[in-house]
Amino acid sequence: MRSARRAAPGLLLAAALLLPVLGGTYVTDVAIAVLVYAMLGLGLNIVVGYAGLLDLGYAALFAIGAYTSALLALHAHLGFWFTLLPAVAAAGVAGVLIGYPTLRMHSDYLAIVTLGFGEIVRVVVTNLNVTGGPNGLYGIPPATFGSLELSGVRENYFLTLAFFVVVLWFSARLARSRIRRAWESVRQDEAAAEAVGVPTLRVKLAAYLCGALVAGLVGPLFAARFGAISPTSFTYFVSVTVLIVVVLGGRGSAPGMVVGALVVAGLPEALRFLQQWRMVIFALLLVGMMLVRPQGLWPAPRVRRDPFAELGEEAAEAGEPAAGAAAPGEPEPILTVEELTCRFGGVTAVDHVSLEIRRGEILSIIGPNGAGKTTAFNCITGVVRGTGTIRFEGRPVRGLAPHRIVALGIARTFQGIRLFKEMPAYENVLIGMYASGRADELREVRRWMRFAGVWEHRLALAAELPYGVQRRLEIARALAGRPRLLLLDEPAAGMNPTEKLEMMELIRRIRALGVTVVLIEHDMALVTQLSERVICMDRGRVLAAGTPQQIQADPAVVEAYLGAAGDDELSFDELAEERETALAWDS
Amino acid sequence: MSAFLQYVVSGLTIGSFLSLVALGYTMVYGIIRLINFAHGDLFMVGAFLGWAILVPVLAANVPVALAVLTALVLSMLLTGGLGIAIQAVAYKPLLRAPRLSILISAVGVSLALENGVLLAFGAGYDTYPQILSFAGVSLAGVRVSYAQLGMIALSVALMAGLYLFVHRTAVGTAMRALALDQEAARLMGINVDRIILLTFFIGSLLAAAAGVMEGLYYTQINFFMGFLIGLQAFTAAVLGGIGNIPGAMVAGFLIGFLEAFSAGYISSRWTDVFVFAVLILVLVVKPTGIFGERVVERM
Amino acid sequence: MGLLELRGVHTFYGDTEALKGISLDVEPGEIVSLLGSNGAGKTTTLRTITGLERARRGTIRFDGRDIAALRADEIVALGLGHVPEGRRIFASLTVEENLNLGGFLVRHRPALLLERREEVYGLFPRLRERREQLGGTLSGGEQQMLAIGRALMAAPRLLALDEPSMGLAPNLIRTIFTILARIRKRGAAILLVEQNARQALRLADRAYVLETGTIVHSGPARELATSPLVTAAYLGQPVAEPSIE
Repeated sequence: MRSARRAAPGLLLAAALLLPVLGGTYVTDVAIAVLVYAMLGLGLNIVVGYAGLLDLGYAALFAIGAYTSALLALHAHLGFWFTLLPAVAAAGVAGVLIGYPTLRMHSDYLAIVTLGFGEIVRVVVTNLNVTGGPNGLYGIPPATFGSLELSGVRENYFLTLAFFVVVLWFSARLARSRIRRAWESVRQDEAAAEAVGVPTLRVKLAAYLCGALVAGLVGPLFAARFGAISPTSFTYFVSVTVLIVVVLGGRGSAPGMVVGALVVAGLPEALRFLQQWRMVIFALLLVGMMLVRPQGLWPAPRVRRDPFAELGEEAAEAGEPAAGAAAPGEPEPILTVEELTCRFGGVTAVDHVSLEIRRGEILSIIGPNGAGKTTAFNCITGVVRGTGTIRFEGRPVRGLAPHRIVALGIARTFQGIRLFKEMPAYENVLIGMYASGRADELREVRRWMRFAGVWEHRLALAAELPYGVQRRLEIARALAGRPRLLLLDEPAAGMNPTEKLEMMELIRRIRALGVTVVLIEHDMALVTQLSERVICMDRGRVLAAGTPQQIQADPAVVEAYLGAAGDDELSFDELAEERETALAWDS
Repeated sequence: MSAFLQYVVSGLTIGSFLSLVALGYTMVYGIIRLINFAHGDLFMVGAFLGWAILVPVLAANVPVALAVLTALVLSMLLTGGLGIAIQAVAYKPLLRAPRLSILISAVGVSLALENGVLLAFGAGYDTYPQILSFAGVSLAGVRVSYAQLGMIALSVALMAGLYLFVHRTAVGTAMRALALDQEAARLMGINVDRIILLTFFIGSLLAAAAGVMEGLYYTQINFFMGFLIGLQAFTAAVLGGIGNIPGAMVAGFLIGFLEAFSAGYISSRWTDVFVFAVLILVLVVKPTGIFGERVVERM
Repeated sequence: MGLLELRGVHTFYGDTEALKGISLDVEPGEIVSLLGSNGAGKTTTLRTITGLERARRGTIRFDGRDIAALRADEIVALGLGHVPEGRRIFASLTVEENLNLGGFLVRHRPALLLERREEVYGLFPRLRERREQLGGTLSGGEQQMLAIGRALMAAPRLLALDEPSMGLAPNLIRTIFTILARIRKRGAAILLVEQNARQALRLADRAYVLETGTIVHSGPARELATSPLVTAAYLGQPVAEPSIE
């Protein structure tokens, strides 16, 4: 089995090399088209499949590559190989230019903007004299190899195959890179990715750039092969066809791109016997394939390989890992919040809140649901923008992007767990380290997964993990960035008493590392035993702050949150009375 | 000055088609978050159905006004039914699948419609009978044909009807509620699937009306005619804040004006560049469109 | 036979089992409270009852009829209303439009619709004052009133409410709870999910306490209110827990 898998690429390559010998010109011609679409698919897959950005103007980048190369060949008389670099560069610049304004847009808006960009490029090329107007450019010299002109179908096939191998290599390199994980995190949950330290805007821009580079490389190949290019080769329909390759083949899957390309370039050929019915049937088949296989024909396989298998143990790992550098018990505040206010619609979720968090303490924030506790966390971590002042270690942080706040040393978890569900557990932890950019990542991941007690689950997809493990994994992800302040949003919610005890133990160990911990929690027993100080919030305000004992004795807290029976309360008798009172609308 | 006003008239005419088509995009997006790539083709199918009905009916010596009305109404109903069928067969099973899958399904439907019409009616242009006269009025040097006035009036009437339906009836309100919060809408006792089908019906019906009008006005129809208007209407829908019905109406006319003015003052060859450049600029400044609302995400 | 009857209901989110065999009853005209901490499965229980989530195993009967396979809108039509967590009012629709949507099922009977709307306005005069205002511009308390009023428009025989006190000032909570008592007086049963356990137990006839997807206590509200176990875990009175440390 394993040997078969190892032999497969070799066999495929041998078959690919033999194809022009065994098949005729027609088959070779179709094979070239398949390879071109597979390459474009691999390029667009970076944008759509990895980063999840809907791009409907990919053909424009392909066009820019082709026109750049053709113009340089015709006017500057550069040889094919010398036009490649400028073509790739031009496409890359265009990719960044179109990517940049779209970064803050929602993905559906992105679709129309990229589509518009594609149309703009096509119309410009159609109307400019230098690009030959609607007739395009012709007389483009073929590629050469030494003194050999690669003008025949067979020669072009081998050239295309060589390009394909290069693009495949590039794509495979990216697939194993750090940034591919960042792309995945953006695709799965962009807001969470940003909030755990991924610079999402930069990462998305990189996806556009990488996708554009591939298109820029394929463009010259296309121009040199046909010797002529015109705007009709780069219409919106070409962009859509490449998108079909990506989605039908299976997003994120390199073999899928080949399968997708086979379908869009090969299937219409195979259906020629249907004559005029061909395209209708092809279209219906396309719908049918999507209905039967919404994930694509060859979705990305799930990697079961254990990347830790070859990782040796180190003596230093036996002990607890070191995190925050500060000594516990220092009196100075690590975080100060002044007059923080945050409004949504008609509701003031956080209303002139001022508070101070001391270095090294465990502080609990309590208060009824809807009191503004999570919104306060969101303000501190930059997820929402309030007004007021927030200082972390003396430095103002309000208004900074969430990933920058993470990089400064504040990490968090979420009330409704926000793990990247389709990623293995250990990759979630790797994402948590993205902001710090440290090397020796796997060791560090192992360290934190062990620390949080989720090591045995490292290879499982996050979505498959039991609830309690997901909570602890989220903490491991937060710790992996080595924060000095950790914000936990209801870490023990939904846990049974045993799990709660384990959670308390974990939080104590985190503090022992020198990390200041702030938690939102409802379980008063847990709060009382864990925290040195408690802040009670209600309706957006800080109601009281003090030791757990002080808080529990505070009458305002008791009324708002703990709900002791007082004169002011609705009594059983009153309710009984209500039950008896005849109401006008009862009859 | 008179040239300017002439462009205004021409912009209104183009805009009245565009708005009707843009409504379908925006309604469907609002309710199931799908960019319905096949929508422009429903416009095209509507034009062909209208033509296929109108020609034999006229040949049977039916009075012209009645024949046009028959063709218009039947084409709208049939296209509406086609819209329902498309939703039920090609989209509904994919509502819970990854969002790109349903998008590709829509591309497939679009291809199927175009090539189906190509198969049935051929690749060339078919011609609506020249019914509309060129008669009209001249005001301050601006010529407005009665046909133009009629088109604009019909399209405005349809949009007003839609607006009233959506804002004054229980089912219309349910439609808006569904776009806001599907789950809460279920808790109101609203049969969500049925409302979605109704949305497709109405969107397709409006596209067909625009298609028949375009056929009557320009007389030439072709299997590919849905592409460009689909693109522009989609742009209008996004410009107006996708999902926003009045936004799509206004933006449809806005793009109509943009086209008329850019064609008049610059060159029709650059129209698309102009339209898309405006779109991109607007979205850069206001990422959710002119009338779009900001969505706040909870964590 | 009870009005609502759950037997061994299991609900999953993906592979995570959120409800591990819930059985509970609500009798006609009764107020039953569902207590427990966040994440215990209270909301999931309500969502499963009204068809927003599917139970993988178990039966749910309403008025003797098996409703486990019905759609949410069909369940609402049978007379089981649900005021969801976080109110979920339609923010860009007016107060009156929100109420009319609540009466969607009787949209063909304008007289009845009007009558019910008047009832709701009678119950919540504030809503009448704000009838033309957009839902999103209401204060939190008004939004909660609107959410309850909207559900009442369908004249439910059982009203399920998910944390109606969330984010509200004590006097508003009191108002809401008084209204709930009145709604019961009209004959509707109430299933109340609450985090504010004391308030809820004061109002309720009976209560169930949930913990990690399982019912761990149940009984008359007065008994639960004084039970040390419940007080300890859910009413915010820390007791010495020997198991810790």
